[in-house]
Amino acid sequence: MNDGTGRPAPPTAPADLSREWIRGVLEPCLLALVATGDSYGYELAARLSAAGLGPVPGGSLYPALTRLEKQGLVSSRWRAGDGGPGRKYYRLTAAGRRQLGADVERWSSFAAAVAGLLREAVEV
Amino acid sequence: MNDADWLAALDHELTLRGVPTAERAEAVLEAETHLADSGPGPGARELFGPADRYADDLARAAGAPGRRPVPAPAAEACLLRADDLAKAYRGRAALRPTSLAVAPGQVVALVGPNGAGKSTLLRLLAGLESPDSGTVRRQAPAGWVPQSGGLDPHLRPVEHVELFGAARGLTRADARREGERLARSLDWELAGAPVAGRLSGGTAQKLRMVLALVGSPRLLLADEPYQGLDADSTRRFWDLLWSVCEDGAGAVVSSHDPQVLRRADTVVELRPAVAR
Repeated sequence: MNDGTGRPAPPTAPADLSREWIRGVLEPCLLALVATGDSYGYELAARLSAAGLGPVPGGSLYPALTRLEKQGLVSSRWRAGDGGPGRKYYRLTAAGRRQLGADVERWSSFAAAVAGLLREAVEV
Repeated sequence: MNDADWLAALDHELTLRGVPTAERAEAVLEAETHLADSGPGPGARELFGPADRYADDLARAAGAPGRRPVPAPAAEACLLRADDLAKAYRGRAALRPTSLAVAPGQVVALVGPNGAGKSTLLRLLAGLESPDSGTVRRQAPAGWVPQSGGLDPHLRPVEHVELFGAARGLTRADARREGERLARSLDWELAGAPVAGRLSGGTAQKLRMVLALVGSPRLLLADEPYQGLDADSTRRFWDLLWSVCEDGAGAVVSSHDPQVLRRADTVVELRPAVAR
């Protein structure tokens, strides 16, 4: 994402591969971000980018948020903005918190398995 | 394609996919705020992709039924019908051609940024101004809640109510009784209130609402009617509006408040006539 400030881009994985990877973990990552406080789409995109997960286009972000909301894992409400139409803030629900716990477990074992496999190949 | 066109295309594509009105309006607003937050630089197409594909993804995520939208109510059933209304002031377009219909029991919400023509449209619907083109057909007298004005600073609220009631065929006693009931539903006591010129902005707005509703008009037109009201009064206003409409009245209300979209039956999104 071009933040227009001229700051150096945050560290990212090579664009093409990270885009593939983020698709699989976008929803758990969004749950993790809203777990730390209510947030809206643009801010979530900026935080994903700052965390080094690369630019997540709105075209992926909002459908993911919509899915999470439809599954009852996040709830949303509009808050008035400065003169504008306001922003839609997302909040983690109790079900979302349980899902996040399960995702953390699953991702940790999956990431360890991938890391183990890759390391094995390098060590050969 | 500029961002405004992309957003209009998104709205259209979501409509085609049967995404319910409120969700559709929210999705468009959310994309619009995202674009505003992004500042200059990447446009809607770069951030969201082609509008039709984004609409596909959103509709699938929302579990939209994929059906065609509900057709507009038949002309004879409408309390109000406007076709292709347009208005310009000194050659400057104030309202792009806009159509809407209000059936009994329906609330139509007008949304859009400042300058998109919400107030102009309402004034045309209320018959306070004439359109440059297009037609308005009102089947019922309308109660009108203006943003400001409409009150005589030297008259007490009770006297306002009696006057407005008389215009709708109510006796003084009936007008007073109905005015007091309406005022109370807005957490306000009509009796003993000072002349309109000494009312606070919020209380004056409550009086405008009471005056619009006294005599039970079947159609209510309101231009951001909750301006100057605190949160509780705003909620009371909406409760009053929904109850009036449940009883069969129709309403057209302009609003900046996305919460309203969740409960409105139809959302008409106006866009500025001049590309931003």
